Amino acid sequence: MNAKKVTSYVIRLILWTLVIAFFFWAISENMFGKIFEEPGKFMELLGRHLELVSISAGLAILTSVPLGILITRPSFRRSEWLIVNIANLGQTIPSLAVLALAMGFLGIGLKAAIVALYIYSLLPILQNTIAGLDSVRPEMKDAAKGMGLTPAQVLFKIELPAAASSIIAGIRTAVVLNIGTAALAYLIGGGGLGVWIFTGIQLFDNQTLISGAVPVTLLAVLVDLLFRGIEYLLVPKGIRLARKSAMESV
Amino acid sequence: MIEFNDVTKIYGGDVKAIDDISMTVEDGEFVILLGPSGCGKTTLLRMVNQLESISQGDIKIQGQNVREMDKIKMRRNTGYVIQSNGLFPNMTIEDNTMIVPDLLGWDRKKKKDRFNYLMDLVGLNPDDYRKRFPHELSGGQQQRVGVARAMAADPPVMLMDEPFGALDPIIREKVQDEFLAIQKEVKKTILFVSHDIDEAVRMGDKIALLRDGKVQQFDRPSELLIRPNNDFVSDFVGKDRVLRSMSLYSVEDLVTTFGLKNKEDTITDTKEISIDTSLRIAISMLLNQEADQLVIVDRQGQAKGSLTFDLIEKFLHQEVKGA
Ligand SMILES: Nc1ncnc2c1ncn2[C@@H]1O[C@H](COP(=O)(O)OP(=O)(O)O)[C@@H](O)[C@H]1O
Ligand SMILES: [Mg+2]
Repeated sequence: MNAKKVTSYVIRLILWTLVIAFFFWAISENMFGKIFEEPGKFMELLGRHLELVSISAGLAILTSVPLGILITRPSFRRSEWLIVNIANLGQTIPSLAVLALAMGFLGIGLKAAIVALYIYSLLPILQNTIAGLDSVRPEMKDAAKGMGLTPAQVLFKIELPAAASSIIAGIRTAVVLNIGTAALAYLIGGGGLGVWIFTGIQLFDNQTLISGAVPVTLLAVLVDLLFRGIEYLLVPKGIRLARKSAMESV
Repeated sequence: MIEFNDVTKIYGGDVKAIDDISMTVEDGEFVILLGPSGCGKTTLLRMVNQLESISQGDIKIQGQNVREMDKIKMRRNTGYVIQSNGLFPNMTIEDNTMIVPDLLGWDRKKKKDRFNYLMDLVGLNPDDYRKRFPHELSGGQQQRVGVARAMAADPPVMLMDEPFGALDPIIREKVQDEFLAIQKEVKKTILFVSHDIDEAVRMGDKIALLRDGKVQQFDRPSELLIRPNNDFVSDFVGKDRVLRSMSLYSVEDLVTTFGLKNKEDTITDTKEISIDTSLRIAISMLLNQEADQLVIVDRQGQAKGSLTFDLIEKFLHQEVKGA
């Protein structure tokens, strides 16, 4: 336990040192110069990147959470494996192939990129929604039903609060992945910060590459933190404390 | 009053979990559904609040067929406690306890008063527990809250499925005693599932002993112990059933039966026994004491006579084996 702690501490220290060293190097070599030379262009690419992510992830949340709720209802139980398998299939296809497929149907441009990112975000959210709802102890639902809660009240008062942390974790994973994957949108004319990343690669231009890649990474880190904050706010206190005390007693 | 009329439950077309049960539970009666695992106790209980459908026959509460009632309304008006308490981890103890009153739209003040009353009833300090969460409570405390929650809207009928089954023996006995004291005060009509003969004998006004979905005997505990209907019943209650039945009689019953009068010449070197003591305890006291007799004293401390093995045996023949 203690050795594990020390190891993880050391690894973290090394990582942070590398990150700080990288930024020192990048700044001293004026690697972010592109951002300051073309601030208008940067804002445009960043805006497009955010647009790609928020629309595709937003639609994925609006699809996967209700779908996960629906197929965990008793009357749909039997179709659960089918839907999960279909969604799993979607995830095993590489993101590039999803992009190519979307392009095949919708041509190049923003629309195809959003559809591809949307499909790619569905599964983590769906899986975590189902896992979260399945983890609610059956006796709990039974007690609630037996006391006269309607099915909707059982869902909103008991199941969703218990599943909240799993669902939000799924959304967080999906959005963070989505931010990285959105860089590929450039390949089918979707725009975003991928434009600088791929241009930089093609032209061996480190400055352009890094001016695109570092903001994408920072965005992913920021969004990760944002969702951890949301999780803290939305997960009921009792469940948070119970989990904490369960972890401490291990 | 809960009436079961020719009630049958068939699962999945061929598993007959309940087989043509008819019985009546009177108002204020505490009835134990007893029997080995898989005999249908839970199924029978859950048909009452319609968590399981009734395949044949019908169940009536206060003369009304449960099938025709609004399920949600009926469940809110029926207490339900299960073994693993089912407290909701996302809610405080107060919110857990007041969930049904909340659904019924009680106002804040009324809910708070009710919470305070119920916590006092189950022996927990309301202010200490109000804002705490279930995981912070011990098993026994959680189960007390589970009982309080089931009584929150003061339902006339309570359904309890092995509510104390998960507690360790010492705590269980304590919670059982507390619950009996509560029942004395509130006088609910209770259906209580148990697989433990000792619990059934301790708690029940009557016991329905089930086997393979059929009622083998529906009787007062003493009758079940003393006059079992068939071999299954006598096997289930155990070889020590006569000794067990002794816990249902007090020294006072014996005093009344034999009409023992006040006694002046108290033998001072023997131990005293109060007339409230059960005969089961009296027997073990005689065994432990290695004394031939105990002096029976009434509630005023007045000696009533001496208690001996012979006297108990005489009582046993008359009350238990006889008739
Ligand atoms: N949902 C169900 N589907 C099929 N069979 C069931 C179901 N619930 C219970 N049973 C069967 O009905 C019988 C009675 O079960 P139950 O009422 O749970 O018994 P007990 O509570 O006395 O242990 C058992 O044989 C059990 O396997
Ligand atoms: Mg059972």
